Amino acid sequence: MKNNKVKSLSSKIILSIVLVSLLIITTILTIFEKINKEAFYNIETEKVHIIAKTIEPLIALNIYLGLDDKINQLTTQLIKNPNILAVKVLIGNTVINEVKSKEYENNLEDSFIVKDTIFEPNSKKEMGFLILIYSSKNYQELLHKYTLFITALLIFLGVLFLVLGLYIKRLLSPLGEIATLLKNYSPDKEMEIPFIKSNNEIGLISGALTNMQESILKYSKQQQNINNYLEEEVSKKTAELVKQLYTNALTGLPNRLSLLNKIKNDDKGALLIINIDDFKEINDFYGHEVGDGILIEFSLRLQKMYNQNQNILLKHLSGDEFALFFIQKPSMEELMQIAKKLVNAVEKMIFFHENNEVSIRITIGGSYQIKGALEKADIALKSAKKKRKSYLIYDEKSNVEKLYKENMEWVRKLKKAMEQDKIVPYFQAIFDNQSNKIVSCECLIRLIDDEDNVIVPYKFLSIAKKSRLYSKLTKIMIEKSCRYFEHLDFDFSVNLSVEDILDLETVDYIKYNIKKYNVSNHIIFEILESEGIENYQEVSTFIDEMKTLGCRTAIDDFGSGYSNFEHLLKLNVDYIKIDGTLIKNLDTDKNAQVVVETIVEFARKLNIATIAEFVHSEAVLKKVKEFRVDRTQGFFLSEPQRQILLELHDKKTRQNSMDV
Amino acid sequence: MKKIIFIYLTFINLAYGYNYDSLLLKAQASIFPKVMLLDKKIKDKLVDSNIVYTIVYDKSDYDTALFIRDSINKKYKGYFGQYVYKINLVEFSNLSKETQASAIYILNSDKNIKKAANIAKEKGIISFSYDTDNLRQGLLFSLILEKSMVLYLNKDNLYTQKVDFVSSLLQIVKFVDKKNI
Repeated sequence: MKNNKVKSLSSKIILSIVLVSLLIITTILTIFEKINKEAFYNIETEKVHIIAKTIEPLIALNIYLGLDDKINQLTTQLIKNPNILAVKVLIGNTVINEVKSKEYENNLEDSFIVKDTIFEPNSKKEMGFLILIYSSKNYQELLHKYTLFITALLIFLGVLFLVLGLYIKRLLSPLGEIATLLKNYSPDKEMEIPFIKSNNEIGLISGALTNMQESILKYSKQQQNINNYLEEEVSKKTAELVKQLYTNALTGLPNRLSLLNKIKNDDKGALLIINIDDFKEINDFYGHEVGDGILIEFSLRLQKMYNQNQNILLKHLSGDEFALFFIQKPSMEELMQIAKKLVNAVEKMIFFHENNEVSIRITIGGSYQIKGALEKADIALKSAKKKRKSYLIYDEKSNVEKLYKENMEWVRKLKKAMEQDKIVPYFQAIFDNQSNKIVSCECLIRLIDDEDNVIVPYKFLSIAKKSRLYSKLTKIMIEKSCRYFEHLDFDFSVNLSVEDILDLETVDYIKYNIKKYNVSNHIIFEILESEGIENYQEVSTFIDEMKTLGCRTAIDDFGSGYSNFEHLLKLNVDYIKIDGTLIKNLDTDKNAQVVVETIVEFARKLNIATIAEFVHSEAVLKKVKEFRVDRTQGFFLSEPQRQILLELHDKKTRQNSMDV
Repeated sequence: MKKIIFIYLTFINLAYGYNYDSLLLKAQASIFPKVMLLDKKIKDKLVDSNIVYTIVYDKSDYDTALFIRDSINKKYKGYFGQYVYKINLVEFSNLSKETQASAIYILNSDKNIKKAANIAKEKGIISFSYDTDNLRQGLLFSLILEKSMVLYLNKDNLYTQKVDFVSSLLQIVKFVDKKNI
């Protein structure tokens, strides 16, 4: 604690009074001294002037009457005055009379000299001068007396202030004593404050402090009680919160955080994550209340199953996800047996709701390694679901983590490429099999990486779908392709997924760009069929809408999915692009030949043109033509190019010359 | 020459008239005009803008009167201060209220002093006397030579005449009255 030296208030008051008083007195005395000295001087000189004025008419008269001896009488008489040291009477510059006293020589310096003009009696004519040399003895005496008086006054005032100061100090000294006492004040102990009986302000302060002390004591006790109560409550609440923090509110089981702590502080365990399959459907169908009830019941049954096993800790990670944490690592076989048994046990479980029987199924993902157990078990769970297995233990050799990492890297690359405008269309020519001329080209998406490598879409398209970047890529391709062909009288096709067609924003964007670049008569939408078109109504609506604008459509990868010829009829498409997997081995694969022939036959009857893609050799091209496929696309004829115009021109020229 | 005139006057006076002290006459001739000028009301007493200084004498003192006149002229050379003066010599027998005078100087006389004093009073002019004894007859100023010159002023007559002297004059004169002359 900083030790501040206490400065006495009484000393300050006294010092202030003394300083102010001294200042005022000194100022007044200085002014008085100046005034008085001047006044004393003026008095003395006035006296001499009065003497001079008194004697001057007589001297003037005597000079006038020529009574020189009378003048001498007068001056001699004057010199009898002990203060007059010398008298001179001058007419012009001539001294006509001069009388000096004995003290004159000694006091010459300490004297006043008054020169008075002598005027002729009964006129103002100047006759001469009367000079009086007057002793300053009186003046000096006056000054001396005055100085003595001032000194005495100062001493008196000094003593007075000293006494006053001591008196004030004495009056205020109780405050110091009280302050010293209060330094050690603590609300815990009561102290007796002195001077309480004094009949003055000190007594009032002491009284007030005593009252205040009583209030503080009372308040302190109350505060202590409140604090104790609050401490208890806080402890309870803290315990509750800690419990809540590590406990699932619904089932009362330790939660995900509890599991994470366990994994963090363990190096020997193993983990199984249990996920109830399609639990969302139960919630949606029966309602959340029933869902919660099933979860509680399920947790109880799990507890019942494993509460005898001290090695297994049951956790409730989230709504439909539970976990079994093994404190001691069992053998891999044991772990898999436990998972298998649990799956079987759950399959037999029946939950009741309002006379309805509700069954659930579970999928289990497990990690045999404790390091990153939760993530690994999660990966195993997803993998199991994907592979439609009831349980799966994370395989260290599967390198799934690496795959995840690569996927994330691709997402990053995709976003960066979009930011830097490095998603570009490449153009692959489509030839008419009758004329061998290029009749259109397909706009294919490419990503240019940081090293200017051209990345083909199969590397990033599936990731783009998962990361919801797909529609953005479609928009980029639509805009760039339309812009590219704005001033070219040439057909071009762009790929659309069913997902794009179902997205109203993407559809609006397509319409906007078609109109903006005026390419409705040239654009062909290739709708991917490879994943199977389920929403035929929406797709049909889209195709009809585009047809009204003058656009054409094609079914891409026809034959790869679950092609439904009946639905195909309803879609009213202009082209069918036969799936590449059927074309690439067309020269050798008899089954493919049968399928292609059927498709072409079917399309011809519906007056739909067919296009064969993935034509990579002359043999395949020959077969394509043999099966009367209308158009051909493939590396054998033309690879995708960044700039289609020159290529088109060259090809056109080449084809024309070949025809010739 | 001064000695001859002095001896002559002494002789004449011993033979025919009063005895006059020439030094005193000269002193009076010198001082009395100046005393006259100390009257603040001198302007009221001018005759045709001039000061008329009238010397009144007995027939036997005519020469003395001339001596006085010459002494005055010699001293003042025609001007009393700023005023031109005339000296009028008048015998006692010719003195009357009509006699022109701004001030009169009275030489000795056995019978006529009182008359001259009364005329001076009536005219309101200053009267000077050769002899201080004559002041009891009513004349105003006189002068004697003692250790120094002493100017006498008849206190009884001071306020009976139309004069107003500078105050300092009253401080240097010696006052006389009927009792102590």
